[in-house]
Amino acid sequence: MELLRNLYMGFSISLTPANILYCLAGCFFGQIVGVLPGIGAPTAIALLLPLTFSVNPTSAIIMFAGIYYGVAYGGTITSVLINVPGESSTVMTCLDGYQMALKGRAGAALSVAAIGSWIAGTGSIIILMCFAPALAKFALRFGPAEYFGLALMSFGLLTVFGGEEPVKTLISTVIGLFLATIGLDIVSGLPRFSFGVPQLLGGIDFIVIICGIFGVAEVFNSLEEPEEGDLVKQRMRLRDLFLTKAEWIASRWAIVRGSIIGFLVGIIPAGGITTASFLAYLGEKRFSKHPERFGTGVIEGVASPEAANNAASISGFAPLLALGIPGSPTTAGMLAGFLMWGIRPGPLLFQTKPDLVWGLISSKFIGNLILLLMNLFLIPLFVMVLRVPYTILMCFIVIFASVGAFTVNNNLFDVWMMIGFGVLGYIMKKLRYPIVPFVLGLVLGRLAENSLRQALTITGGSFSIFFTRPISALFIIAAILAYLSPVIRWAMKGLRHPKMDVA
Amino acid sequence: MKVADLVGGVIVLLLGIAIAFFSSQLPYDSEYGPGPGFLPFWLGIVLIGSGVFVLLNILRKHTKVDSFLKPGTKQSAMIFILIFISFLLLPLLGFSVGLAFFCGLTMRLMGKHSWIACGLTSVGIAIGIHFVFGQWLNIPLPVGIVGW
Repeated sequence: MELLRNLYMGFSISLTPANILYCLAGCFFGQIVGVLPGIGAPTAIALLLPLTFSVNPTSAIIMFAGIYYGVAYGGTITSVLINVPGESSTVMTCLDGYQMALKGRAGAALSVAAIGSWIAGTGSIIILMCFAPALAKFALRFGPAEYFGLALMSFGLLTVFGGEEPVKTLISTVIGLFLATIGLDIVSGLPRFSFGVPQLLGGIDFIVIICGIFGVAEVFNSLEEPEEGDLVKQRMRLRDLFLTKAEWIASRWAIVRGSIIGFLVGIIPAGGITTASFLAYLGEKRFSKHPERFGTGVIEGVASPEAANNAASISGFAPLLALGIPGSPTTAGMLAGFLMWGIRPGPLLFQTKPDLVWGLISSKFIGNLILLLMNLFLIPLFVMVLRVPYTILMCFIVIFASVGAFTVNNNLFDVWMMIGFGVLGYIMKKLRYPIVPFVLGLVLGRLAENSLRQALTITGGSFSIFFTRPISALFIIAAILAYLSPVIRWAMKGLRHPKMDVA
Repeated sequence: MKVADLVGGVIVLLLGIAIAFFSSQLPYDSEYGPGPGFLPFWLGIVLIGSGVFVLLNILRKHTKVDSFLKPGTKQSAMIFILIFISFLLLPLLGFSVGLAFFCGLTMRLMGKHSWIACGLTSVGIAIGIHFVFGQWLNIPLPVGIVGW
């Protein structure tokens, strides 16, 4: 009953004309960002965040949420029509989506992606409505030891889901954590690593870093390795969007399975929508009676990863809202937004800001419906966006990133810092140091350090607190196992394929 | 790529040493528990260890061979130079005109658009930045010789 009352309150907020407009703008912008290769949801949020200083936080977060799941929808269009993923979360869709397009079933591929995403999105919102408040209630038991354990586990899970070189994931995380320590220490008041530069005393603002590392670095990377493909020229009539009975039968359970996998991966810190779509595709292939047909244009290969990435983009809000822990760079950007608006997400958010939480959750129903309609009827419009020359797009990214970085403290020092972080992001990508751990280290750095120090202060410096409290111990053990996962994998591989001694 | 990876590993190692050194100048513990130097010190140590691991891995040829310089690297370097020059001129030209100058130059040199198109777009961008960010969103953008 309380759930329905909260939902009613949420709809009374999200259905105001202004919020519908913000939701529409977010979905539309997200869809465009998803279509454009080289720009992702974190970049879009990084560039727009500073411009929402004076916007009502509920409206702004509704718009950002629209961008997040809009991107997941939009990336599908380029994956299907030009075999280039507009977004990393739609990489798996290329495999079968493009093949379907070559066979003249582009409409069906786009349609199943839109319908699958809508079903997964709506289902995930319903589960999120029940799950997130329960998680928040549970998290009220968390003290500093639990929060430190949770942060450590999030960093550890990055090693599991991160790149192919775990040590580089660790290095990225540590550099992010280090950057979070720059500035005045809140306990002792001593300046740390500011080297007499007054602008560094307040620390390096997260917005400056993400504008550089996602905005400017993306410009450098996209110029170096442009993603181009040939557009499948096909006249798409409304009736081409309808699925055949066989296609619907083949895709319906794939959508359900993709939704479940996506939801579960999304709530894991460091899971993210890309991992969700990847695992859903692999899971679907393993589940299929004809795995050999995957990659040749089977509809399940589109339905499952598309449902998964949308489900994950919704469930990713659970750890953010209930624990204050972002699971991906996009939700990390949103956390920066919350902090900018003076709101601290976490277990108390459901009590202190129910209008924001339920306004956001209910807006997702509206956003998913808007996106379903957009994807069924406005695809030609979004394909036109691909014709915008990259030089012009690049100029706009630099303009938004510069204004965004400047807005933080109204000084040019931050703009130069942003360029510096742009170069850092570019070099990191070239040397295969993953960006996600860096961002999560940065955004969770303060929380991790403060929790660690508070916990150790309680015990007078004894680390026993992390192992004597059950929830904390669970997180710490999970973190240790995650960090050891590369070693475990290596040992397992050795056991399965022992080296043959040649006498 | 091996050289670039080696340089990357050395930078990580040096960064770790620098962090460990500078954090050792800060109090390691305080009256109430760990001090401001506690976490950074250990972060520095982890970086040193990881840097050594990366370097050893490269020397044992465990990394993929891939070229650091690609055909498009020149383009990336060029846009960096354009950004750098334009941003050096920001205090003189102001934010709106400075960014418009960057856009015009980029469109001309990298997009090979006509001078007229570049000029008109630059003027449009300068006016757009001034009105959208400066007037509508009330961001106090630095002004230059033009006055906005």
